[in-house]
Amino acid sequence: MSAAPAPSRSWTVRVRQLAVGALPPEKLLPDGQPSYVSSWIYVFGVLTLTSLVVIIVSGSILALKGPGWWHFTGIGHFFNSIHLWAVELFFAFMVIHLWGKYWMAAWRGGRRRVWVTGAVTFLVAIPCALTGYVSQQNFDAQWISTQAKDAMNSVGIGAFFNLLNFGQMYSYHVLLLPVAVVALVIGHVLLVRKHGVVPPFPVFDRDEASPGQDPVAPEASS
Amino acid sequence: MAAVFNLNHHATYAHWHFFTMSVSNILVIVAMLVLFVVAIAAPFPHRRAAVEEDR
Repeated sequence: MSAAPAPSRSWTVRVRQLAVGALPPEKLLPDGQPSYVSSWIYVFGVLTLTSLVVIIVSGSILALKGPGWWHFTGIGHFFNSIHLWAVELFFAFMVIHLWGKYWMAAWRGGRRRVWVTGAVTFLVAIPCALTGYVSQQNFDAQWISTQAKDAMNSVGIGAFFNLLNFGQMYSYHVLLLPVAVVALVIGHVLLVRKHGVVPPFPVFDRDEASPGQDPVAPEASS
Repeated sequence: MAAVFNLNHHATYAHWHFFTMSVSNILVIVAMLVLFVVAIAAPFPHRRAAVEEDR
């Protein structure tokens, strides 16, 4: 009988062993997927990730160049529009992905954390996008921020989120909320790798079901 | 887009009892629903080969 190896005293070794145990390399970067992954619905998850990359890159360029550039130059308008339309597509793709996973009950088979991280990403992405409207530095931003301030006050959280405070909203938009969204997306993708894509619902043949048995949910009628 | 469509006017709204929504928002939602149905129903390239390979 061989004795179990003694746990390493090195924290880097312990972290590595934990990481490889939780997500072995062949699961982290697989070279194949089950046939049911060959569906357009999964393309929308990838399109969401692609849109997020475009959002981060175009937003970083806007932050580097500043409001004078994005308001008063042609190339600035172009990148401003790229940033806006990448966000529009990000939400459209993400919502279609979410609809698909909802109707597939993607939390089945111990995938609750996969579903929850995806749903929370959607919820965190909403204020991340809306704070962009009040970070534009124009009359549109001023109008939106006063309306949104009323909304915050009406639900009793106006003391915590002051939408008339440009510095606070800009920090939320370019740092705090994007970091949260990216961290959630990374966690979501790693959890998908760990648990695998949810298999489809089993199909019951109506002809094979016994008389009086519900072919869709046989266990419920027995 | 403004070069193709004249955007220099107020939005047109659809109003039915309590329901109020701009026509452009309705069109976006309808387009997303159509895209969702197409994503479910449209055959994916090489899917048959993948299913055969799984067997």
